Amino acid sequence: MEQILRVFYNNGSFFTFIGLQLLCLYLIINFNSTQSDIAAETWSVRTGSVKDGLSYFQDYLDLREQNEVQRREIARLKGLLPEARYNTAAELDSLTDDTFLQRYNFLSVNIVNRSPYNPNNNLVIDRGSTFNVQQGQGVVSNDGLIGIVDVSGNSHARVISILHRATRISAGLRNNAFGTMLWDGLDPRRMTVTDIPDYVTVNAGDTIFTTGFSNVFPTAQVIGYVETTAIQPGTGSQNLTVLLANDPLTTTSAYVVQDLFKEELSVLKPDN
Amino acid sequence: MGGVSNVSNLVRFFALLILQVFVFRQVRLGWGGADYIFIFIAPLFIALLPLRTPRPLVVIVAFLFGIGMDAFYGTLGVHAAAATFAGYSRQFVLAYLEPRDGYKVKASPDGKDLSLGWWIKYIGFLVGFYTVFYFSMEEFSPLFWKQIMLKSLFTIPLSWLICSIIVTFFRPRI
Repeated sequence: MEQILRVFYNNGSFFTFIGLQLLCLYLIINFNSTQSDIAAETWSVRTGSVKDGLSYFQDYLDLREQNEVQRREIARLKGLLPEARYNTAAELDSLTDDTFLQRYNFLSVNIVNRSPYNPNNNLVIDRGSTFNVQQGQGVVSNDGLIGIVDVSGNSHARVISILHRATRISAGLRNNAFGTMLWDGLDPRRMTVTDIPDYVTVNAGDTIFTTGFSNVFPTAQVIGYVETTAIQPGTGSQNLTVLLANDPLTTTSAYVVQDLFKEELSVLKPDN
Repeated sequence: MGGVSNVSNLVRFFALLILQVFVFRQVRLGWGGADYIFIFIAPLFIALLPLRTPRPLVVIVAFLFGIGMDAFYGTLGVHAAAATFAGYSRQFVLAYLEPRDGYKVKASPDGKDLSLGWWIKYIGFLVGFYTVFYFSMEEFSPLFWKQIMLKSLFTIPLSWLICSIIVTFFRPRI
């Protein structure tokens, strides 16, 4: 305490000076218009920079929170993008002819997901039961076949690709010989048609069509072209290797084939 | 007016204040709409305070003189700040200018004991400090350093001259 007092005593002029200077500053700022203007300006500038620094620091402190806010905002904005929307406008294309009853509806769909390439391929289309997409309906592209609807959700459906080892499609030639088309899981460009009678003459390059027997695909859709034939000894049949007309692995737009006669035909299905 | 007693200091206080505010306040020389030349004799009062005056008291008295000037100049606080600063710096000027054998502290040194050269240097320092600080407070921002420098450059020599003339006449004891 004594030392503190001694400091004050020894530096009395200094403290007097500081005190009186502060008093003078107060008087200057409060009783002189020019100086008070300058002081106010300086004050605002200085406090402004101090506040800038403070807010910069505070911004740094709640970066994590801000990140979360930004992510939510991005999620909201992404939801507003056209890609995020599910187009409810039905693009149904059907023939209207007085002579013909409409048998097949073609529903335009986009392929929005597909399994990685493997022996059993699946894909997902962006139309579902809202558009009357049901299990067992065929999916075709402009050039060929894509697959068969397996599971139908409200707005999307899963499709078993024709490149699936469980696929069995009724396929035939122009001369009405027909067999079953399946995939061996090896070459995505080629499929095999089995059970064609061996006495039928088949040449390389002949066109393979759908038969329409299964009510899945319309009649006479081009599937592909015969590449080679192989008579199976002892079975009385031959196998055809078919080069597919389309590439089911890269197609992005397709049509769901809706057979309007399906119920009637399923009742009338011939026994095996 | 040349003594070290309280009375003579009091007389000096009012005499120099009156001289300052009624005579030298009228001197404002300048060009281009701004005044650059002023005369301040307030440093003289601070310089002439007795050598043995306690340092805090020097500061306080200087402040009072400054306030007295401000009352007439209409710049409350500006002259007071400058005078306080000059009063505070007086001790350092005295220490710096101390003769080799020191001030004769016991007997207040007669003004004539100290050479005219010493007096002029002494006054010069105080006038310089006073003026620079005064204009700094008047402009109140380092942004106006040009005006501060110009006004100081023009004001210091004249004030110095006037103060030196007064001192030469009185050669007071301090």
